[in-house]
Amino acid sequence: MADAKDLMQRYCDGDAGAFRELYALVAPRLLGYLLKMARERALADDLLQQTFLKVHRARAAYVRGADPLPWIYAIAHRTFIDETRKHKRAVVRVGDSDELPEVVAGLTGESADQRDEVRGDPALLGAALDALAELPAQQREAVVLTKLDGKSIAEAAEIAGTTSGAMKVRAHRGYEALRKLLGRAPARPASKASAGGEP
Amino acid sequence: MSTIDDLAKLPPPAPPALSALLEAELAQLAPVATRRPLRQLAVLLAVSLIYGAGFIAVLTMRRNLHELPMGWLTSVGLLWLAGFVVPLYLATVPRPGAVAPRWRLAGITSVIAAVGFIGLGLALHPGEAVPLAVGWSNLPRGYGCLELGLATAIVPIVLGAIFLRGALPVGSRWAAAALGAGGGSLGGLMLHLHCPVTDGVHVGLVHGGVVGVAALLAAAVVPRAVD
Repeated sequence: MADAKDLMQRYCDGDAGAFRELYALVAPRLLGYLLKMARERALADDLLQQTFLKVHRARAAYVRGADPLPWIYAIAHRTFIDETRKHKRAVVRVGDSDELPEVVAGLTGESADQRDEVRGDPALLGAALDALAELPAQQREAVVLTKLDGKSIAEAAEIAGTTSGAMKVRAHRGYEALRKLLGRAPARPASKASAGGEP
Repeated sequence: MSTIDDLAKLPPPAPPALSALLEAELAQLAPVATRRPLRQLAVLLAVSLIYGAGFIAVLTMRRNLHELPMGWLTSVGLLWLAGFVVPLYLATVPRPGAVAPRWRLAGITSVIAAVGFIGLGLALHPGEAVPLAVGWSNLPRGYGCLELGLATAIVPIVLGAIFLRGALPVGSRWAAAALGAGGGSLGGLMLHLHCPVTDGVHVGLVHGGVVGVAALLAAAVVPRAVD
């Protein structure tokens, strides 16, 4: 599969197939990021569509030869911020722990009846998602981008529109808060897929 | 923390199909001319300088031009020129391999330019030492200079905003401030060559102040047009 740079260039040249390939390449990762931020599948799907619509309308701003991913992620970040501000919507949190496996399944795109295929213990993963949702938005985004999406501090800072120093502090504080939250999380029944050595 | 590591290893979710709106847009997809930052910068600088030169041609050069120290006239003129070029460069040209310009550096430069030109104007001026009270009392007469400076700044700000449309999902306010500072510096250069007043309070607070005011106005207005 071609890389994002080539696809973006072909798309700007009027190749609709290149856009579909770009969508197939980028959308899953972007949706994962948006889902962890919004915690609601319908909202995340909507934000994803809005992000790609903005990319489409701003495609003339693309610079040939540049990596479009940080720019597309930054558009997604901005779309999420604008949407949450517009609706003054508190990030949706799952209150009932019985629903957690479904949230984990939703995060991977797997249906509830496929939940056994989810890697790791769904209950523990659900607890981690629950703890993640309790973090302030900036710390949550820092943890999602740097710890879960594997972005560097500099990349995450570029996406979130902040300095590397501030991103480092947010990621560290978010991670520490997450550790504390998971440390006081009530014990959940272990499943057959449980990973050993949990905190 | 292995739970977080497990979370990071989860496969990404399956995205939904493209929306009907996106499909409709794709059905009539046409090639677009992508942004060429260096060419845009060259156009921005050239058009702005021609506009500034036109202003001076209409308003005439300062009448005390030949009485002033050539060293001061040249060095301060070059500083104004640098204040015009550097923020505009940072606000429009991204680092190699990036789409978005260096808005953070551009923002820092706009603050340095605004503070620097006020400070330099107050400290380095060829006029006789005017008592501060007299300088302050003359300050309201600088309103005309402020207007002229801001009128000069309009072209680089508007042109820069057009060039940056869609390029800055984050940091547009800082990039806009840099466009304002660059435009304000062009205004300062124009006033440097036109306004005969040499006292430090006027040169610092009015001519230098044009940079700060233009940066603030651009930061307030331009992001709405750029986003």
